[in-house]
Amino acid sequence: MSTPSAKTATSGGKATTKTTTTTVVKTTTTTQQTLAGTRGAGSKVQKPRTTAAGKKVINSHANRELNNNGLMRFSRGRMFHRRALYRINKWKGDQAKLQGDKTKKTAGSIKKRRSPALKKKPVGGDRNGKERFVRSKRLPRYYPTEERPKKFSVKRKKFSSHPRRFRSTLTPGTVVILVAGKHAGKRAVVVKHLSSGLLLVTGPHKLNGVPLRRVNQIYVIGTSTKIDLSAAKLDNLDDKFFKRVRPAKKNAEKDIFDSKKEKSQLSDERRQAQRTTDAVVLNAIKANADSRLLRKYLKSRFQLWNGVLPHKLRF
Amino acid sequence: MTSSKKVEKPQGAYIKKGRLYVKAVFTGFRRGKRNQHENTALLKLDGVNNRRETNFYLGKRCAYVYKAKNKTLVPGQKRLNRVRIMWGKVTRAHGKSGGVRAKFNRNLPPKALGRRIRVMLYPSRI
Repeated sequence: MSTPSAKTATSGGKATTKTTTTTVVKTTTTTQQTLAGTRGAGSKVQKPRTTAAGKKVINSHANRELNNNGLMRFSRGRMFHRRALYRINKWKGDQAKLQGDKTKKTAGSIKKRRSPALKKKPVGGDRNGKERFVRSKRLPRYYPTEERPKKFSVKRKKFSSHPRRFRSTLTPGTVVILVAGKHAGKRAVVVKHLSSGLLLVTGPHKLNGVPLRRVNQIYVIGTSTKIDLSAAKLDNLDDKFFKRVRPAKKNAEKDIFDSKKEKSQLSDERRQAQRTTDAVVLNAIKANADSRLLRKYLKSRFQLWNGVLPHKLRF
Repeated sequence: MTSSKKVEKPQGAYIKKGRLYVKAVFTGFRRGKRNQHENTALLKLDGVNNRRETNFYLGKRCAYVYKAKNKTLVPGQKRLNRVRIMWGKVTRAHGKSGGVRAKFNRNLPPKALGRRIRVMLYPSRI
């Protein structure tokens, strides 16, 4: 780059008047121009981050936020073109392909290996040209008169595969106040999050009579008291384990005359599960620093009385 | 847990249940000066005095509990009972001073005016 012979140095300011553009050069760039000359072509010129005075240098050509309102000077589409990403992305893709790097997806430059549409086949008979081009995949033999009806959209998920969310205050090991149902007012320990979105909760039964039970999150108030249940392994306890088993349908005639309601028997499996889970929870309570308090706490009931306002309580 | 036929309940199971609802009063129906809309009831919750405090109660179920002459079956109970309930829920705040609007499955009877309504603690959001 040839520097003009008559150079007038201006004081480090960036603004230059139009009439003197040819001769006036920024003092800060003189040293850089010589440096650029010595480096190879295509090297980036490092612009100073701060001026000599210590102020941040803003590149007036770059994209920046306007007036601190979240809007940028150039939109995403414009920046795509300004950075020539249409060229760069393709270049990157080709480079990845050249190096055989299959982990990098290169949009547009992936070519599927298709089998050729036509293939040669030998043909008998002397005057038939010996070979013919034949389709490798034959056309369908049957075309329906009507287009096939659209299948139910795949995008719509079944309810059973919807993501279940759990309140952040209801992690396993939290002491929780049951607010409805048979055990309303009792405090129980969250054992596990079930895949159906319900919580698995236990008293422990020894302390307050709450069994291993499924409970909906909306009938539960999460307190800040937590017990460390991270050591527990409770894989076999899931929704299937707790699902209600309905008796098999009997003959209609029989049913009318001997109508005895079968009492639901507590299975041994359930008892065993209760025992093992409670053992784990009680151990965790023992290990806790406030174990005596915790046990009393779990035995006690939650209630409201005069002057106690739940919106002012910190649970 | 003993595996005997009659299972003794643990000591902690015999404690009496206390109040698990917030007391509220049915103050009237939603209305202008000359027209009232009975499908929305206005409730005054105990101890809730400004609009910010009503946030906790939004969505909570409320119950108007009353007694009638004839006995009916109540779900969960085996004996016939004189107690009846009309269920509803708190829908939004009403005004600046902690009042609240509620919609019941069936409109509240006007004789419930000034009477106690129970605002339960569920569906809980905390």
